[in-house]
Order: sequence, then C-alpha cells, then structure tokens
Amino acid sequence: MKPPNGKSTTSVSSYCYQCVAGPDLMKVDVMDGVPVQIRPNDSAAAVHPAHGKVCVKAFGLIQKTNNPNRIQTPMIRSNPKKGRGEDPQFRPASWDEALELICGKLNESRAKGLMDESGFPRVAASFGGGGTSTVYMGTFPAFLKAWGPIDMSFGSGQGVKCYHSEHLYGEFWHRAFTVSPDTPRVEMIISFGANVEASGGVCGVRRHADARDRGVKRVQVEPHLSVTGACSAEWVPIRPKTDPAFMFAMLHVLLREVPRERLDIPFLKARSSAPYLVAPNGFYLRDPESEKPLIWDLTTAAAVPYDTEGADPALEGEFTVTGLEVGADDDRWRHEGAACKPAFAHLVAHVAPYSPEWAAEICDVPAATMRTTALDYLHHAHVGATTVVDGREMPFRPVAISLGKTVSNGWGGYECAWARTLMAVLIGGLEVPGGTLGTTVRLNRPADNRWSSVVPGTDGFMNYPMNPTKRDAFHDTSPSRHAHQTLIPLAANSPWSQALGPTHLAWMAQQKGFEHLPKPTQPDVWFVYRTNPVISFWDTGAVADVIAHFPFTVCFAYTHDETNHMADVLLPECTDLEGLQLIRIGGSKYVEQFWEHQGFALREPAAAPMGEARDFTWISTQLAKGTGLLAEYNTAINKGAAGLRFFGEGYDFSLDPDAEHSVEAIWDAACRAASAELTEGAEDQGLDYFREHGFRTIPFPKARWYLYPAMVEKGLRFELPYQERLLRIGQELGARLHEMGITWWDRQLREYEAMPHYQDLPQLWEDALEKQYGVEIGDYPFWLLTARSMQYSWGGNAGIQMIHEVAANVAGHGGVVMNPEAAARLGLREGERVEVYSPTGTTNGAVILRHGIRPDTLLMIGQFDHWKTPFAKDLKTPSMNSLTPMSLDLTDATGSSADLVRVAIRKTGGRA
Amino acid sequence: MTRYAIVADLNRCVGCQTCTSACKHANNTAPGIQWRKVLDFETGAFPTVNRAFVPVGCMHCDEPSCRDVCPTTATRKRDDGIVTIDYDLCIGCAYCAVACPYQARSRVDLPASAYGGKAMRHEALREDPARLGVAQKCTLCVDLIDAGRARGLVPGVDAAATPACVSSCIAGALTMGDLDDPESNVSQLLRSKRHFRMHEELGNGPNIHYLYDGEIGDVAPPEAVPYVAEPVGLASVSPRLQTKWDWRAAANFVFGGTGTGLMAMTALAALTGPASWAAVPLALIFVMAGLICIWFEIGRPWRFLNVYLNPFTSWMTREAMAALPFFGFGALAWLLGSPVLLALSGLSGLAFLYCQARILRAAKGIPAWRHPAVVPLIVTTGLTEGAGALAVVMAATGTEARAVALALTALVGLRAWAWTRYRGGLQREGAPTGAFAAFARIKAGFSAAPQALVAAAALAAALVPAAQPVLLVMAGLGALLTGWEVKHVLITRAAFDQGYALNRMPARGAGKSSPGIKPGWFRA
Repeated sequence: MKPPNGKSTTSVSSYCYQCVAGPDLMKVDVMDGVPVQIRPNDSAAAVHPAHGKVCVKAFGLIQKTNNPNRIQTPMIRSNPKKGRGEDPQFRPASWDEALELICGKLNESRAKGLMDESGFPRVAASFGGGGTSTVYMGTFPAFLKAWGPIDMSFGSGQGVKCYHSEHLYGEFWHRAFTVSPDTPRVEMIISFGANVEASGGVCGVRRHADARDRGVKRVQVEPHLSVTGACSAEWVPIRPKTDPAFMFAMLHVLLREVPRERLDIPFLKARSSAPYLVAPNGFYLRDPESEKPLIWDLTTAAAVPYDTEGADPALEGEFTVTGLEVGADDDRWRHEGAACKPAFAHLVAHVAPYSPEWAAEICDVPAATMRTTALDYLHHAHVGATTVVDGREMPFRPVAISLGKTVSNGWGGYECAWARTLMAVLIGGLEVPGGTLGTTVRLNRPADNRWSSVVPGTDGFMNYPMNPTKRDAFHDTSPSRHAHQTLIPLAANSPWSQALGPTHLAWMAQQKGFEHLPKPTQPDVWFVYRTNPVISFWDTGAVADVIAHFPFTVCFAYTHDETNHMADVLLPECTDLEGLQLIRIGGSKYVEQFWEHQGFALREPAAAPMGEARDFTWISTQLAKGTGLLAEYNTAINKGAAGLRFFGEGYDFSLDPDAEHSVEAIWDAACRAASAELTEGAEDQGLDYFREHGFRTIPFPKARWYLYPAMVEKGLRFELPYQERLLRIGQELGARLHEMGITWWDRQLREYEAMPHYQDLPQLWEDALEKQYGVEIGDYPFWLLTARSMQYSWGGNAGIQMIHEVAANVAGHGGVVMNPEAAARLGLREGERVEVYSPTGTTNGAVILRHGIRPDTLLMIGQFDHWKTPFAKDLKTPSMNSLTPMSLDLTDATGSSADLVRVAIRKTGGRA
Repeated sequence: MTRYAIVADLNRCVGCQTCTSACKHANNTAPGIQWRKVLDFETGAFPTVNRAFVPVGCMHCDEPSCRDVCPTTATRKRDDGIVTIDYDLCIGCAYCAVACPYQARSRVDLPASAYGGKAMRHEALREDPARLGVAQKCTLCVDLIDAGRARGLVPGVDAAATPACVSSCIAGALTMGDLDDPESNVSQLLRSKRHFRMHEELGNGPNIHYLYDGEIGDVAPPEAVPYVAEPVGLASVSPRLQTKWDWRAAANFVFGGTGTGLMAMTALAALTGPASWAAVPLALIFVMAGLICIWFEIGRPWRFLNVYLNPFTSWMTREAMAALPFFGFGALAWLLGSPVLLALSGLSGLAFLYCQARILRAAKGIPAWRHPAVVPLIVTTGLTEGAGALAVVMAATGTEARAVALALTALVGLRAWAWTRYRGGLQREGAPTGAFAAFARIKAGFSAAPQALVAAAALAAALVPAAQPVLLVMAGLGALLTGWEVKHVLITRAAFDQGYALNRMPARGAGKSSPGIKPGWFRA
C-alpha cells in the first residue's frame, strides 16, 4: 500500500479468531492512527499451517472498526416495554452510570444468593462464535469465575448449528471434540456434508488444496453441490438426512463383502472392543473375580480377561463360556456355559440387513456408488502399512470420513458418528497418521493436551467424565436451565458442558417448562456478547419473545441488533482491532488447526477505541471492583482464567489480588508468564516483546497430533464397535428419569443402543411436523437446508458492506437456491421473489437457480433475517431460522437437532 | 526482459474471495468495484454437475486492446508487461473499458462510502481524487513491485513485492512471476501443468494462465469450449449489457453518421447538379450534436483535448482528427459557396464515418461491435442516413433529386446487404445470446418489408417526378429513422460484453477435468 502524501503508516500484529477454525495471524496497517488494511503476517509463514494467511472474514475488520453504525457510548434503555415492536428508547449514558446500574443489579442479585429457588444461577451469559468469544473478551472469564455459578444454557446456535454428536461422541471415543482427516497425509476423504472449504478456516483450505495437488480423492456426499463439493473429485447428491444408510451400507461392504484379512485385524484385536465377549443380556461377559471383560483366547481356547498377556483374541465364532454379566444399576447375572460371541461377530450380524441395495432407495444413490466408495476407502487404507513420525513407528492409514453439521447434529448423529469412527477402527485408521483425528478436547481434562487427557478408565477404555446415572449419584437438578446434567450423561460437566447441553431446551423451558424439572426461572442478569440468538437460533420469533421477558439484559454491543434491541444496557467494547489480549496459538486445536508449533500471539490495538468504547479487560475489572470481587477476579486471572497461568515452575508474575490493575499491566504479566512458560522459566519478556514480534512459539511434536501412541503406552482400547457403557447408562438414565416421573425423554432413551439400528430419519422429521403442527407433510414438499459460508460463518458480520459485496460473488448467497427443473414445475424463474414457509413461519428471498442441488431440496446460505442490524436489515435475504421448529420430538439423546425442515415455496411477485 | 504473469490453479481455488478483499484493501477500491474477483461457474445438469472458481481481473495482456484504443495514451504497457493507466492523462471516455474482453475496467465518477453518507475514517484518509472520472483496473500492485524491486526483492517470491491478491491467497492458488525467466515459479508451473488462457482466440495474449489438470501429457488437449445459449444460474459470468457507453455514445454514432453521410452525399450530389447548400450547416450541426453528447459522457470532459494524443493506434483519436477538416472545410464551403471545399469536407466526413466504424470494430470487449462486418454496416448506414437526410432537404427546398433518390435506393439496398451480412456473420461466428435477442426486437424498421418499402419509395421518387417531394420525404425519413434505430440498438441494447468462459473445468484432486463452458453465447 502506498500511503498518500504526508500520511504515516505503521503496522501492528494481531490475530483473527472470528470463527472456530482460527486463530490465524495477521498484520494491520495503520495510517495516521486509523486501521486501513489487513495483510497476512508473513513472518508467521514458517510456523502457521496456512503460511500466516487470514481468510476473507478478517478483511471485513477494517469496515467493522470504522463502521459509522457502531455504538460508541454506553446506552441505557428508557422504555421498560420490550419486544420487536417496541422502541427501546436507548439514551446515552456515562460509563460510571452504566456500570453502577449493572453492578447494582448484580449486587442485588448476589445478596439473594447465587442460586435461585429452582437451583439455577441467578446470572446467565451467552457467547457466540462457537467459543471464540473468549479470545476477544479479555479477562471477562476471570470475572465470571470470580462471580461463581453462571448459567450458560441459553444457546445462540450450539446444539442446532454445531457438530453436536461429533463433539460428544468424538470426545467419548477418541478425545475428539472436533474431528479432522490427517489432511497433510490423507489419500481419500469421504465427506458427508462437511463443508471444510467454507468452514475449515485457512488451515483447512490450504491443506486440502495441497492434498488435491497430491491427487487426494474426496467424495462429497451432500444434497447440494457446496463449495466443498465443487472442490471434490466426486459429488454424490444424497437425499437429505439419509447419510446413516449410506454409511451402514459401507459397513456392510467392509464387513460382509470383502475378505476379512483386508481389515486391520491386529488393530481390532488390540485397540478396540471387537474381541470382548457379549453376554446374553447384551452386556460384556466378565471375569467374576476381576470383573474385567472376557475375550476368547484362540491360543489357549479359553475365555480370559481382555488384558491377558499373550492372548490372541477371537473376533468371530460362538463360544460356550462362564462368567459374570453386569447390567444397569449393578444388576448382575452369573452365566454358566452360556453361548457368547465377540462384539465383532455381533457387529457383522448387525450390519447384515444394510446392503448397498437396501440403502440405494433410501439415499437415492446407486448401490454401485456406495459399494465403490467403500472399496475405494479400503483400497486407500493401505492396511498393514506403517510410517515413522518423530521417530515413532505408527500405522499409516490415509483415509478418513468427515461429517457435516446437519449430518452429525440431531437424530442420526449417533449413527453417523458411530459408523464413521467404526470404519476408521476397522481399517486401523483411528488416531494414526493419514487417518481420522480428533484435534481438540473440551469436556475432558486437561483441555490443552490430548495426550494427557488419555486417562485409563474401566474395561481397558479411556475414562470419561459422564454425568452420573447411578441412583446415588444422579443429578435430578442441573446448574443450568436446560438440565444438561440430568438429561445428557455424555455432556459431562466441564466449563464447556452447558454450551453442549440441549440449549434449545433452555428457550423452550422458558415458554412452558418441562414436567418434573425445576420451575424455569428467568436469570436476574443476562450477559450477551458476540451473539445474536434472535437471528441465529431456531424459531427466532419464540426466542425473541423469551428474551423480551428477561428482566435485565446487558449486551456488549457493536451495533444495534435484534437481540440487544431487548437489552437494558448496551456497553460498547473495543472491537477486534482495538482491544488488547494474548492468546494461545498452535498445538492442536479446533478443526484443522493442528500445528507443528505452539505458543502465544498478541492482539495489539491497531487504533484508539472509537468513541467511548472500552477494552473488555477494563470493563471486566470495573465489574469486579463494583461487585466487590476484585481479589477473586485477580486470583482467577493468576490461576489462568485469562488464558494462561501467571505462575509456574521458576516463575511467578501473579497480580496483587487486592489491587486494581491496568489493562496493560495485566497483559504485560500475561506476556511475561507466556515467555516463561515457553522457555521453561528462562526468559520473561513482556508486552514490548510481543508488540515487536507479534507472537512467540516453540515446536509442537507432530506425533502429538495422533492419540495412538498414548493409547499404546497406556495399553488402552478405543471403545468401538460395541457400546456396552452407553447401553448401561441409557438404561440407568431411563430408570432415574422415570423415578422422577419424566417420560417425555423416552424417545431419546432409545438412542442408547450398543450398536445403532437404522431409523427412518426423513420419516421421523415428517411425523414430528405433522404431529406438532397438525399439517399434511405433502403440503411441504421440499427439504430446506443451509450451508456454511466462509465469508459469514461465525463472524457476526452480516452488517459489513464489504463482506456482503464479495460474498455475492459466490453463488447462493442472499437467495433461495433451487434446482431449475423443480423451479420450472412451479413456474419460478431466476431472480423471482418467493416466500418459503414451514409450519412455523415464513421467509422471503429471490430464486437462485443452480443445477447443483437436488430437485427435492432448497438451500439458504447463512442467516440473514435481520430486522434491526444496520445494513443487514436492508438486504432482503432469507433465513431458515424462522422456519425451523424447536421440538422435543426432533431432539436426540445428546440434546441436539439438525438444521433441516420441510417447506413449501410460492411466488410473491417482484424480482430481485 | 521481464514479463510478469499470474498463474491461477483452478484445482486449488475455493472461491473464498480473500484475494478480492485483499485487493480492495490494498487498492482502496470503491464499494462495488473489484479489480480482482473470483467467479463461480457451474456446468452440467443434475446429477452430473461440476463447479469451479475462477479468479479474474486485468490480464495484463501481451497485446492489450485497451492500450490500442486509448485516445490519450493514458493506458500503456511497461517493459515488464504491466499495463498501467496514467490517471492524469485519461479523459474517462471508457473506450478502454469496452475494448477489454475481460471486463477488467471500471470508472467511478464520485466518491462513495460503503455505508453511504460521509466517508468512513479509512475511506477519507485514502481518498484519491485523481482516480475519479477516469478508467481504473488492477495495477498488479505496481507500487509494491517497484518498491520491492528497488529493495532487491523478487516479485512473486518476496511477499513485500508481490500483488496483494497473490500474497493473500489462502489456497496457494495464485502464483505471480516472470514468464521470461525459465526458472521462475510461473514458468515452472506452466511447463509442468496443463493450462489455458481465457478467450485466447481473441489474440490479446492474456497473462492470467489457468491450470486445470494434472501433469502435462496426462490428458488430452482441450477441445472447443461448448456454447450454452441460455445458461441457468450463471448470470454473473455470462455476457452482460455494457452500460459504460449509453445513449450519449449512441447519439454520437447516430448524429455523427448522419451528419458525415449528409456532407458526403451533398458533396457527391453537387457533382451532378447545384449543391444543396442548406444541407451543409445541417450536416455540421448533426456531427456537432453527436460530439457534444459524447462530451457529456466522458468522465473528465475538460481534458477532452487529450483525445488527440494517440493517432498511432486509436480510431477515436483519428475520428477526432477527421472532425477538424470536416468542420473547417464544411464551414468554409458554406460561407464561401465552394464546391471544392465541400468535397474536402465530404471526404473528411467519410473519414470520420469510417473512423466511427473502426471505433466499434476495435472495441474488442463487445462481440456485437468487434465483428468485421460492422464496418460496412456503419459506413453504409451513415451514407444511407446522409442520403435520406439530403432527400428530405431537397424535397423541402424543392430541388430536383432524381439522382439522390436513385442513390438512396441503392444505399438502402446496400445497407440491407451489410446488415444481412453482419447478422449472418454474427450467427456463424457466435455472439452473446442477448445481442441476438436485441436485434430480433428490431422488427419495426429494419426487417425486409419496411426496408423494401423505403427503397420502393426512393425508387418511386426517382421514377415519378410529380410525387417526388412526398416520396422523397417518406423515403428519407424512413432511411433516417431505421438507421438511427439500428445504431441505437447496436450501441445500447445489443452491446453485451464478452462475458467469461472456461476452456475446461478443473480436475479436483483425483477427479477428472471436464468440458468447459461459454455461457450466454449462441452460434448457429
């Protein structure tokens, strides 16, 4: 960039973490104190998997920072009535007045006790961006920690817009909150709706481009030709929500149509539960003494505990054995000479009905395509091959299966996550080079080290912090308004668990409550940051109604929007380019963010805050001070609530707990602690160092991308294919809920199968809509789907003009994508304005014709039903969120549902 | 020598628009203006469909048609291949924009803010008044390249000397380097991978090279690009009606053609009888009116004299030069009553008319204009209108006009022949579907029956002296109005741009490359 005459240009380091696929590093050019340009950080090229680049979203930050529509001063609501039709009559206020008002409410609430009469936290908070908000909220997590229990159950998209089953089952099976192919090594990827080219961030895009250069074969199985489908070797336009049938058919081929030795038999025997003998009631047959599951040792022709040295377990056959079976709630059966088969044999029988021919009609995909895909998968697995990583020899299995959000969310998610992970196990490709990897941990501990999270549990498997289902430990109440500890054992109870609970139940409960759960109270104070649930959730009208009844809402506000329209106080915080913060980078994080380096990066202010906007850390400190929690707040910071501990072996940069510290002092201490952590206490450079360099890293061993070495070292097995533990906790959960009188969760209890059976998911959706709304499903002939957009997803940037402008170059934005044949049948033409409606609502947009979509499917990219956000409200673009019901019938056992609804379409007249 | 080029690997590109945004940042382009962008193509029909993303922008052509047509020499090609625009010379005539077959150029006349109203801080800081009202396009970040080279950096290798689109590309799809260096990154890519250039048949030698498949030798060479006359969902990549030359430009062709044709026909008629001096000022007024209209269209009207700076290659300069003797001789001829000067003015008018035809012929970005048959069409149309106007003048002044009537008859026929030949040529060689649709709508005046009527009226005027004035007026007006209509349609309704085309859809990883597409084009 050539500065105009007389203008001085400097450059500061920052990061972009607007989406879950970050963080990525960038430079911000500043001219006369104004940020004017985003650039890649070339000095990070050697350490960042995408060579120091940032994606299109980062380039929206210049307009975001300088946007004239920003809220530039605290504002207080004057109109006590709330609702879409009410003018909030916000009036500007000083920070002192706004903070005094908020702290007054907080102190008033705290005086009544941290929990209310229903046992729920009196203070609630909702954050957007799939957890990325924390890297923009400075020390606010320390304030929340200092405060005590906070209800995070009011979701803004979690459970309905994420990869929910993958998160929960992934963590359970292989510490994989997010799952990724080992893209740098993979040869073949079968992607069921995973839109990695839009949502995999720059690391994903770069690595998949490299993979394509290597000749990777990616098969995209998806009802429409997404950006990722476009970049794939093959597109298979499957009928919506029938992915489990396709995957079951692949399992059928692998287990029943190819010679057994082509599978990774050693892996199955040593690293899975395949050899465990299953007793007559469906639980493992156990050694009566040690209660360890038994296997059939082919060497000694006897049943022995699974960990018997030198045993050669049978995978198939039926054996007459004696042992103990332990069921739910410690039910015990002693079996003498019972006929038992290994879990693997049960699996082979289980998939017998699911041939490709069976699946063909369900999926509307030729059987030959599914068979070929399965055989290709096996071919590319190179079963038996090994490779050396960081001096360790490991299996090399360069094939992987990816799942998209509507595939791994809601009913069917369990089937898909199970089948995907199982197929990796069958060829020995789970957590090994080339194969299927977990990349981050959120529910287990420690969250920043997957290897350390591999803690031995019972039966030779990893431990998992289930919410207890035994009678004496069961939580019949939860510290959240969606009952995650009561209903969802797999959700665990980590700081992330509330966000992974059934977040739509929190909204639904506010409408009419759930029988036999505590009365659904409202939070006294609700904090909202970087999220807009009135737009981003489902049944947005209902969500808006609930929010309008919350007594006191504090929104950290960038511009006016649909959610903060209902707020009592708006606080303008420094945006991405104005705030100061240090975060961890590298190692192994979300999505494809597994690096060969790890360390820290600084977000240095590129500009003075606009108007009266304040740094989030300053706001947090003031809230702590105003609520008398300064010592607890500082202590929380010292202990790591702001991203890293301020003390460690040989260093201590802890803040004085009783003093108020400036923003710079806090982050200077953080920088010093980061330097010390990376150098094992040898160095302690602070803020100045990070300002100069932007980031600091040390190598991260590539071997740590793979869980396999940790599993081998600890002698552990992946808990597949047989889900004895889930079967047990499902039965126990059912018993507990029935003891409480709860029967409305019975449908969900059926998910707890040892091996999932196919269920007709399209029918399930259709039936649910017919039952809930009394409609004829034939009146709603189309499936409506959505897809991620790299330009928008997670960015909260629908109000940024430049993003809108460039996103328009990618087909599908801003309208209703439909197949030309389907459109012709309805007499619809390109650009024509239409109304799309479901039993819950309507949305309007222009027809966009593309051949790359099934004739029975419509697509709306993004969520753009804004009516308040400046600029976005004038776009006249559709959103499926107002069409998608919040429905218990459509909620699976993990508490999620899928972005999917049946709709009809009609002309409204006019053109785009 | 150095010859910079960009290689875009279509197998790698994901259409994310990061390059589009980085370009907007680096060059501070106005809202809606994209010097670099990535197109979204789709081919096939459900369920066999392919989709590809294609970065486009200024191709920094080996033989840039924008440079050749530029009347001011504002557009130049540097020794290193970069095509530049001198904002201080440019008059904003937008001729380069219609001459570019890659739709790479635009013109912004007024400062614009992303959110309307007052400029945002960063917009105000970087406002560049020199870029208002003139042509603009991708500069290949020439400032970065020059500054980088001055520091010993290598463009395309060192990020600080590399165009923003290339250095920001997250997929590693864009590479920039020196084609004349056989060891450069781009040379190596083009040696090893299959590639094509967009619209190569137009001969510009574009310098964005598209990689579409694996190693050279692996696959068959690309075949002809399939035309799809009415593509679905591809409006953004199909030819679009150009809006840079509007009715004001059309008026220049209408009035300029009529005026010069009138002068030429008047001079010719003077050889057979007394000159119709009344027609001379009318001819001058016609041409002047056309030029005034065009003056109102250019972005920097007070720099209009720069139009004379490129007589070497620009037909617009030559047109402007022809105007000088046309007006000079014409005015003097009228004042002095000199048939010789009238003849010189007529000859100058013919030159002006021919230049107008060649202006369209050289507008390579508009298929309906650049066809060679447009030249006789424009010349015969101008002459026919001139004859028609002269016929009306002679009828009004009571001058005997048998020869003019016969000439008009012949010219109407000649014009019909030129029109038929032009349409046939377009049909055979192909043009945007929209152009044919626009021509198909000219039913009122330019189809066979009304033209035959005009010719018949002209012939009757020659053969029936008693009815000559009436018939002359009818035939003259008919010739004029139908000629004006065809030029108005040609300039403003049929002027679809080249659009974009893909020779091949890229192979994606292990997938296979498939046939490309030329959407929105029809060929008989």
